[in-house]
Amino acid sequence: MVRAVLRNVFLKSLREQRAALAWWAVGVIALCLMTVAFYPSMRDSRGMAEYFEEAPEWIKTVMGDPSEFTTPTGYLNGELFFMMVPILFLIFAISRGSGAIAGEEQAGTLDLLLSNPLSRRRVLLEKAASMLAALLGLGLALWVGLALGAAAVGMDISLLRLADACFSGVLLGAVFGSLALALGCASGRRGLTIGVTAALGVGTFFLKSLAPLIESLEVWGKLSPFYYYDAAQPLKNGLSWAHAAVLAGAAAFFVALSVFLFDRRDIAV
Amino acid sequence: MDGVAVKAEKLTKFYGRTRGVVDLDLEVRRGEVFGYLGPNGAGKTTTIRLLLDLIRPTRGRAEVLGLDSRRDGVAIRGRIGYLPGELALYDRMTGGELLRYLANLRGGADWGYVESLAERLQCDLSARIKSLSKGNKQKIGLIQAFIHHPELLVLDEPTSGLDPLMQHEFHRLVREMTEEGTTFFISSHNLPEVERISDRVGIVREGTLVAVDDVDSLKRKALRRLEIHFASPVPREAFAGIAGVRDLAVDGVTLRCTVAGSVDALIKAAARFEVLNVVSPEVSLEEIFIDYYHGEGRAP
Ligand SMILES: Nc1ncnc2c1ncn2[C@@H]1O[C@H](COP(=O)(O)OP(=O)(O)O)[C@@H](O)[C@H]1O
Ligand SMILES: [Mg+2]
Repeated sequence: MVRAVLRNVFLKSLREQRAALAWWAVGVIALCLMTVAFYPSMRDSRGMAEYFEEAPEWIKTVMGDPSEFTTPTGYLNGELFFMMVPILFLIFAISRGSGAIAGEEQAGTLDLLLSNPLSRRRVLLEKAASMLAALLGLGLALWVGLALGAAAVGMDISLLRLADACFSGVLLGAVFGSLALALGCASGRRGLTIGVTAALGVGTFFLKSLAPLIESLEVWGKLSPFYYYDAAQPLKNGLSWAHAAVLAGAAAFFVALSVFLFDRRDIAV
Repeated sequence: MDGVAVKAEKLTKFYGRTRGVVDLDLEVRRGEVFGYLGPNGAGKTTTIRLLLDLIRPTRGRAEVLGLDSRRDGVAIRGRIGYLPGELALYDRMTGGELLRYLANLRGGADWGYVESLAERLQCDLSARIKSLSKGNKQKIGLIQAFIHHPELLVLDEPTSGLDPLMQHEFHRLVREMTEEGTTFFISSHNLPEVERISDRVGIVREGTLVAVDDVDSLKRKALRRLEIHFASPVPREAFAGIAGVRDLAVDGVTLRCTVAGSVDALIKAAARFEVLNVVSPEVSLEEIFIDYYHGEGRAP
């Protein structure tokens, strides 16, 4: 068992994350179940929608149409997919992306790993693949949690649409995870990488959220990965292939950039 | 296949403005044990990491087993074993798991051989690496370097942290492997150790290779400090002018001096008196280097 799992860098990196991934999955599933459990009382209270009717216009622009808030998609978007899911995916992905190279470099184990007959590109791609696999695992946990919750309280939502929205989260995570990978490859410093990537995450989140409010920012909002994450409303309309392709393309670009940067650099002791 | 295992040509590395090594010309022959001797900060680790393509030269180039260190890194690393100077292992794995993993990255290994090495070095493979002492981690580091029977072993301060018994076992391993034709490139800041296991020695100081010599001729030139305690006061004149003796100081019953090369003449002179004790405090590498430096390192 252990022998097979230690066959290559990809499997070994995945194995290293198994405990973390298990805890994340438990947490995410619990969060989904709790959130969905409150849905019936939300749906049945008329007051909520009225409360939102009176909300200022800018809140409606950012959060969506309040009359939608008591529908299953509206509820899940507002409670989970608008902010909570991106936060979780970003934390998870940035932690993995920054650890893959910069973390191992600071721990000093990169010397040993790179003294094997593997090219740096190969090591990096296997580590990027293991990060992606872990993100898919987290996405799966999110989907399972929501599907279980929906079944338990009789929430009327398509499992396929749920999968679309979860996958959009995975792609968003892949963008920031691979950005952290690239910054880690450039700097070799994990703390710095986490800080800069998280700051970019917060910045681009607000960029996308505020852009619709300010005319001069409107176009700039499309520079934010968060725009491609949920502007097309995957939970309601299904995955927009164009938007998904932008996210996947950005992630692929950052991985390629990582290879480029990592290949050229001195490994620190 | 020529007779050169490692070749550096004008190999130079600067870390920003900090000097790593400068214009290093080096040749390690196949089948020999090459001791790479120098004090801390001399540039030993820099040289070794350049050979492994972990860092890139500022100028110059290196060949390992006839392959270019930059272009053919993967092929080179498939044929050499490496022990990092600042060894860091995956703390959360056991020694056995780590060795399995590293063996798998090289396409598998003869596990019986791994176990026999572990037994000889008295290394527990089932313990988590986190819980191991520095010496035991070093043993795991050594085993992983040997695991695939490489043609060339590049070992950066291999005995640091090993107790004397294990150092001895390591020396025996080196001897056995050289008999099978393995080449060793071993860095050290410890002269007696290098004298014991090497065929040839390169001395590096402040980033430059000061001298390369057979270990025998190094021994002939090496400085030794001697302190001889006599039963009764001895005259200074009895020891003046003996070949190779420097810094002679006779203080009643105690003689102190530094000897370059053979101590034979001095000992014979001392034997005319009643000798109570002979002490040889270790000469610091720095002193040996200064000697080389003045002697043959650079034209004045
Ligand atoms: N990553 C680095 N960045 C800056 N300076 C370094 C780095 N690595 C080594 N040096 C410097 O290069 C010189 C040679 O160091 P090193 O090769 O480690 O010597 P040794 O292994 O002989 O002790 C030292 O002055 C050291 O401070
Ligand atoms: Mg060193």
